[in-house]
Amino acid sequence: MRYGSIIKVPFGPQHPALKEPENFMFEIDGEIVVGVHPRIGYNHRGIEKAFERRTYLQNIYLAERICGICSDAHTTCYTQAIENLLGVEAPPRARYIRVIIAELERIHSHGLWVGIAAHEIGFDTLFMYVWRDREVVMDLFETLSGNRVHYAMNTIGGVRRDIPADTVPKIKHGMDFLEKRLKYYLNVVQNEQTILKRTSGVGILKPKDAVELCAVGPTLRASGVKNDVRVDDPYAAYDEIPFNVVTHDGCDVLSRIIVRCEEMLESINIIRYALDNMPEGMIRVRVPMAVPPGETVSRVEAPRGELIHYAKSNGTTKPERYKVRSPTLGNIPALCKMLMGAHVADIPIVLAGIDPCFACMDRMTFIDDKTNKKWVWTMQQLRRKTRK
Amino acid sequence: MEKENEIAEKLKKHLKNNVFEVKIPRERRIFVKIGKTALKDAVKYLVHELGFTHLSTITGADTSEEIELIYHLAYKGSIELSLKTTVPKEKPVVPTITDIIPGAVLYEREVHDLLGVAFEGHPDLSPLVLPEEWPERVYPLRKEYTLEKLRKLTESTES
Repeated sequence: MRYGSIIKVPFGPQHPALKEPENFMFEIDGEIVVGVHPRIGYNHRGIEKAFERRTYLQNIYLAERICGICSDAHTTCYTQAIENLLGVEAPPRARYIRVIIAELERIHSHGLWVGIAAHEIGFDTLFMYVWRDREVVMDLFETLSGNRVHYAMNTIGGVRRDIPADTVPKIKHGMDFLEKRLKYYLNVVQNEQTILKRTSGVGILKPKDAVELCAVGPTLRASGVKNDVRVDDPYAAYDEIPFNVVTHDGCDVLSRIIVRCEEMLESINIIRYALDNMPEGMIRVRVPMAVPPGETVSRVEAPRGELIHYAKSNGTTKPERYKVRSPTLGNIPALCKMLMGAHVADIPIVLAGIDPCFACMDRMTFIDDKTNKKWVWTMQQLRRKTRK
Repeated sequence: MEKENEIAEKLKKHLKNNVFEVKIPRERRIFVKIGKTALKDAVKYLVHELGFTHLSTITGADTSEEIELIYHLAYKGSIELSLKTTVPKEKPVVPTITDIIPGAVLYEREVHDLLGVAFEGHPDLSPLVLPEEWPERVYPLRKEYTLEKLRKLTESTES
C-alpha cells in the first residue's frame, strides 16, 4: 500500500538482516521500495594496493583471503593469470584437481546460500538440514587439503596436493549422499508452500535488464540468460568435461534457488567424471620468481558468477597492478533493480537472492572502520597484538 | 582465432587512425589501444554492432605520467576485449559510458574514488568505497601514494 509520502530508511551497515557490514539507503513509500542507494566499502582492506607490495608467491596467500567462501575461485583466477604471464601451463592432472576443488566449493557455497535463503524467509528447519548436509563437503575439504575454509590447493604452476587413490571412494560416497539429499531439497523447494509464497514472483529481474546491468552467475542464469565462464571461456579442464549450464526463466528468487540447487547436482556429476578421467602424472611445474613484463585477463566462474582478474607485470618479482572484480560487485546494479517496487518485508530475501559476498566485493582501502572510528595497524603492531 | 581477427579488423575499419595498437595474445583475448576521443564511439560500436553486451569491469592503472583506463567487454560471455585508453594525470577526464551500458555505473565510481578520474555525465560520483572522512584529492591507487604516505594522511584526520 502506498501513502504518497516518501521516507528514507537506512539499512545497515550493522543490521540484523545482513551478515556482513554494508549499507543501503531505501526510499520507502508506505510498504513499497521506490529508491535504493547502495553504499559499499565497509570491508575494504586495501588488497589491490597490497598486491603491488608483495611477491607473486606471497600474493597466492593474499588472493586466497579475498573471500572466505570462494577462496579457491580467487586463487584459481590468480594462478591462471600469473601462469599466463609466465607462459607456463599447469599439468593435466593439476587442471583436473582444480576442477574437483572448484566444484566442491560450488556445492558448499550454494549449500550455504540455500540455508541462508531459507533462514531469511523464516524456514529455519530447511536452513539447519542443508547446513548439516553441507558438512559432508567441509569434511571432504579437510581430508583433501587439511583445511575446511582456506584449502590452499592452488599454486603458480599447478596444485600443492594430489588427490590420492584411497580418498576417491570417500569423495564418491559423499557425492552419492549429497545427490540423494539435493534431489529431496529440489522437490521441497518446488512444492513447499512456505517457500513458494515467499519467493515466487519476488525480486523480478527481466532478461533485458539482467544483460544491460551486466549481471553475472546464477543471478543472470535465473533470468534465462545462458552465460557461464566454464563453457564460454573454458579454463582448467572444463573443456574436457561434459556438463549442462542450468538456466531458469522465472526471473525471481524462486528461480535463483532452483538454479543453484540444480547447479549443485551438475557439480556432483562433474566431480564424478573428473575423478574417473583424471590423468596420471605430476601436479605442478616449477616456475621462476620474476615475471616478464606483460598483461593478462583471467576469468573464472566462481560460485556467485564471473570473476575477473587483470594483472600487469613489470619484470620484477612483484606485480605492477593487480585488479580484482568479484561477482557480487557485478550484481549490485541488478540487485537495485530487483529491489525497486519490492515490499519492505521482502528486502532481506531479495538481497540474499544474489548471494552477496561483501568481503569479496570490498577490497581496497587502508582502514578498519568500525563505529566510525578509524585506525591503521602496522605489521609490527599487528604482530604485537596477535602475540598478546 | 578467426573470430578474434575479424572483430579486430572491423574495429580498425570503424575507428580508422584512432586505433593505436591491437594485440591478440591468445584465444578469446583481445587488447585494443585507442585514442580518448574515440572512446564513446568505440564502446557504442562494440555494444550495438559487434555484440559485446557485457561489461566485466573497468580497470584503472597509474602509468606514472598518465592514467590508463581499461574497459573489459565480453562477447557472448566468451571473447574478452580489453579496450584501453589513457588520460593525462593533471586533468583525468573522460566521458561516461553509463548511457550505453547502465551496468558501468559502479565501476566508474570505483575508478573515480581510487584514481581520481572524472567521468563526465555520470549521474552520481559520490564516494563508493572510500570512507566519508577520507581526505579530499587523495587517490590511493596512484603510485605517488605509498602506504607510508597514506598512513600519515589518514592518521592526521583521526581525532
